[in-house]
Amino acid sequence: MEYNLEVLNLTKNYQDFHLENINIKLPKGQIIGLIGENGSGKTTTIKAILNLITYDKGSIKIFGKDNYNLTKEEREKIGIVLDDSFFSPILDANDINKLMKNFYHNWNEKLYFDTLKKFKIPYNKPLKEFSSGMKMKIKVLCAIAHEPKLLILDEPTNGLDPIFRYEIIELFNNFVSNKENSILMTTHITSDLEHLVNEVIFIDEGKIILDIPKVKIDNEYGIIEVLANNFSQIKKDDYIKCLKYKNEYYFLVNSKDEFQKKYPKLEIRKPTLEEMMLILVKGE
Amino acid sequence: MNTIKGLLLKNLYVFKNFKGNIIFSICMFIFLITLGSMQSDIFTVGSILFLIFFGMNSISSFSYDENADSDKYLLSLPITRKEVVLSKYLFVFLNSFISILVGILVSFIITVLVRGKVNNIGDSLRICFLAFTSVSFLMCANVPCIYKWGVEKGRMQSVIIPALFIFLLGIFGSLLFILFPQLYLNIDLLYVFKISPYICFALNILFYGISYLISLKIFLKKSI
Repeated sequence: MEYNLEVLNLTKNYQDFHLENINIKLPKGQIIGLIGENGSGKTTTIKAILNLITYDKGSIKIFGKDNYNLTKEEREKIGIVLDDSFFSPILDANDINKLMKNFYHNWNEKLYFDTLKKFKIPYNKPLKEFSSGMKMKIKVLCAIAHEPKLLILDEPTNGLDPIFRYEIIELFNNFVSNKENSILMTTHITSDLEHLVNEVIFIDEGKIILDIPKVKIDNEYGIIEVLANNFSQIKKDDYIKCLKYKNEYYFLVNSKDEFQKKYPKLEIRKPTLEEMMLILVKGE
Repeated sequence: MNTIKGLLLKNLYVFKNFKGNIIFSICMFIFLITLGSMQSDIFTVGSILFLIFFGMNSISSFSYDENADSDKYLLSLPITRKEVVLSKYLFVFLNSFISILVGILVSFIITVLVRGKVNNIGDSLRICFLAFTSVSFLMCANVPCIYKWGVEKGRMQSVIIPALFIFLLGIFGSLLFILFPQLYLNIDLLYVFKISPYICFALNILFYGISYLISLKIFLKKSI
């Protein structure tokens, strides 16, 4: 299998935070979602991939080459959305086009302006007058208008309304449909990933707690809701983690068919990624 | 080269935000220089005023970048840290240089229109060049402080470091004067003034060169 991005045993130590042995393998044509609560290490991982910070251990390969050895031409094949960083807010969409065409040989002005129109982004209005959703739209547009092969997106759906989130998910699906392009995206809005990703990586306190294909979640994982007084009937070995919420216990299981055989009277349903994240992070 | 052009353009766009103020200030300066020229030849003062007022505005581009955390975004594009630093220095230099050039041009035109000619134009230009070098020194002391501590935190250091440097230079000069008074008596100040453009040229290269290398070293090691 060919990978557009490989992160192997990435370790970064800060005084009060440690990112430990992060492994991500992103094949061509696939989308991986990196999920975790704020401060879990998602952005640190992205920063390390983009060479914005040094790391203590591990290696990062993009298009098969160490990330710090990439040529400009190779870096031009990457599209970036960073949640907390962009151009100065006094610039407008026209200015950004003028800048970006100097930074990318492949900058596609027609695609940029056509998509601006489609996204209903004004050309001459400074970014400071944009809503957070509009700012995110132009960030996403800047990430795709040079027709990259790898998209690295840090919280790309933050601040977007449901309609645009739907549009953007369509856009990302089209992006990988050529089986050559890939996307790594972090988010804490897990609902966006439900119909988008091929693989989900849950990260908590700097460690990967679960790395799993989405299809496996759909086919094998399940959630069982049990009232507190029935809690003791489920044995510890039969579930991964459970979370108490109000008067109910939520059990996460990784083999729903087996579980159903053991407990035929209990109802199992498909977990959402949000529920999985909550139970994996907060459950016992 | 295109990358540097793009980065220079990005810095230049900062002025969009106060283009009204710039136009108003230029008009005010033109008015004041015209008024002053009616009394006496203020060609040098007018040129230096332009340099001081407009030539140091380039620092605001650091401020805008810091507020938008632009460096992080820029470095994730196909742009190197070296290019970011180089573009800032080019911008700082060009901004000061264009400011003094415009100042000289405006003051020259007004002085000639009002008074018919500029007195001692050679000496006046030498003084302008000295002023330009002083501004270069201040800017070159400021930029590494900004890279090290940021615009806000580096504000104090940006004042203290050049002041300390001038203070130490003063002490060094005084010591030389006390220890070797003959040395000063032998210096032909008029000759030094005559060759000052060459000295200034060399000093500018030295200031910008050293400052660029310090800033680059800081920025290469910086976690963004």
